[in-house]
Amino acid sequence: MNVLIAEDDDDTAAFVERGLAEGGAQVMRVADGESALHEATANRYDCIVLDRLLPGIDGIEVLRRCRAAGVRTPVLMLTALGGIGDRVTGLEAGADDYLPKPFAFAELAARVAALLRRPPIQDNPTTFTVGDVTLDLLAREVRRAGREVRLQPREFAVLEQLMRHAGRVVTRTMLLENIWGFHFDPQTNIVESHLSRMRSKLNQGFDVDPIETLRGIGYRIRA
Amino acid sequence: MSSWRRSAAYRIAFIYSAAFALAVLALGAAVYFAADAAFRHQQDAALSDETAELVGDFRNEGMGELVETIDARERGAAIAAFGYAVFDADGRRVAGRLDIARPPDGYREVMVRRGGERDPARALTTALDSRTTLTVAVDSEGLERIDATILMLFGGGFVAIVAIGIAGSFALGAYLRRRLASFTVTAHQIVGGELDQRMPVGVRNDEFDALARSLNAMLDRIALLVERLRQVSGDLAHDMRTPLSRLRAGLERALDGPPDLTVQRQALKQAIRQSDAMLALFAGILRIAEVERGDIARGFVAVDLADVVADLCDSYAPAIRDGGRTLTCTAIPGPAEVMGNRELLAQAIVNLLDNAQTHTPRGTAITLALTLDAARVMVRVADDGPGVAAADRARIVERFVRLEASRHTPGHGLGLNLVDAIVAAHRGTLDIEDNAPGLAITMTFTAVTA
Repeated sequence: MNVLIAEDDDDTAAFVERGLAEGGAQVMRVADGESALHEATANRYDCIVLDRLLPGIDGIEVLRRCRAAGVRTPVLMLTALGGIGDRVTGLEAGADDYLPKPFAFAELAARVAALLRRPPIQDNPTTFTVGDVTLDLLAREVRRAGREVRLQPREFAVLEQLMRHAGRVVTRTMLLENIWGFHFDPQTNIVESHLSRMRSKLNQGFDVDPIETLRGIGYRIRA
Repeated sequence: MSSWRRSAAYRIAFIYSAAFALAVLALGAAVYFAADAAFRHQQDAALSDETAELVGDFRNEGMGELVETIDARERGAAIAAFGYAVFDADGRRVAGRLDIARPPDGYREVMVRRGGERDPARALTTALDSRTTLTVAVDSEGLERIDATILMLFGGGFVAIVAIGIAGSFALGAYLRRRLASFTVTAHQIVGGELDQRMPVGVRNDEFDALARSLNAMLDRIALLVERLRQVSGDLAHDMRTPLSRLRAGLERALDGPPDLTVQRQALKQAIRQSDAMLALFAGILRIAEVERGDIARGFVAVDLADVVADLCDSYAPAIRDGGRTLTCTAIPGPAEVMGNRELLAQAIVNLLDNAQTHTPRGTAITLALTLDAARVMVRVADDGPGVAAADRARIVERFVRLEASRHTPGHGLGLNLVDAIVAAHRGTLDIEDNAPGLAITMTFTAVTA
């Protein structure tokens, strides 16, 4: 997998590069807008990690021009600006995900992985099967080894997120954003609460728990 | 000199009076030419009538009668309206007292000698037969007097208007400049650091006063934002210094201690936890600052609070039960729309629910209720916990205020402050009351009316 990192802060870029390279990615690093635009349009990448404030052409403009040039590579935008308006501008310019600085590397890695696994828009599966668990989006139905598991809507949504990214980490903040639309961290552990309820319903009568907890990071359903 | 040449007030006043003077000039010219033409036309018609009558006399009764008629008219009229002359073939005057040389046929401007003076007159000369011609003339002095009067009236009017205009321009320009100068002076004072100066507002309630009031409202808003910014930076400096010192001390201790990997890893983990806490505090302060800035209101849309509350109930009821407390929700079926930002409204409710858990013992019953009347939507979060003393209720919305009782619970004292900022950004009101027992906090918003 090829990842382009466009980040002018050397420390952050090196930190991201080292982490992704350890995960097996081929990383290309650029530090300004012109090079980012050139690399993104001239070469094929599987994912672009783009800083919002780049010297030369800024990140938003790089993204707009890339999208205008037909580059559909998933883009994770990094930013020191975490404001409500900033996020909207980033997503409107064509970013697939938006991560405010500072961030834990595990968070970035999980989001990059999620972007890579994002299915093409034309084939949007409505059923997911992971191991002996199947989830049917249209029937709103979950079965484990053929037996129906009755879940509350939020519990269903949590399981759906895990199954969409089977084998990959889904972080707590990704769940908060995707299910609750929260871009802030509530003190109450609503994610943990729903996950543990969903998990106990899913595992009732079974010995094996297909869901792994990664402390302080998130969850993963074993593919 | 150059200052008033560049002045818009003077320029406008001058242009206005110049335009007015030009209009008077044009009106004067129109009156002058119209009156002159009408008078001349009338004069010619009178000459033509008189000539026709005399020619009739001549035709019917001959030269003798004509001369007699002329003689009678010249003697009869007290002020001779017309002058007459009959010329023979050689151009000699054979009748009438009009003392001129024979003019060619038709209308002519002539000069009439009268007792040594020469007066302008209008003459109509007509052939009586092949040898004699009749000239009837009328004094045009009257016409010229009228023309002169019109010219004098309008000329005088023009001069007066120009004079009034110039004087008025100076007066208006000076007035405008004086009113504006008070703004300029105040603005300079504010630029110079006297931030509490305000534009003077007069008693007439005119557009300048309206402008002054708008500027003052703007200055008040800016002053408030500056004050908040100053407060935030002060708070940050204060609230960051302690955890930063603690972080630094921990790292230093780990570095100075024995090179034990387990101990050092522990210290590093602790350091990351401490930085995360500081980053969370920082994010909280920035979030409040963003909400207080007020420009988020530009992105407001109709948000159904009934839907938001139902959503939060679904999500929070299990989590609160896990924490050993209960959440009961009173929802309403219909939509309860307010103009706002869905996520911020949700965050305000979330913060109240978080507070209701963090500051109460296990077993507390928490309620979340949405009610609405014709004009308002109210969201009320209440608990039957220990409550807050009346004296502290107003204080707990302030930034970084943490009551003694919550000294040992996690938090930075920003939660309610953010709720307050969100409610204010939505032009709502926040009421903190005694729930006897417990605390009840109500957010009231203006409903979107269909």
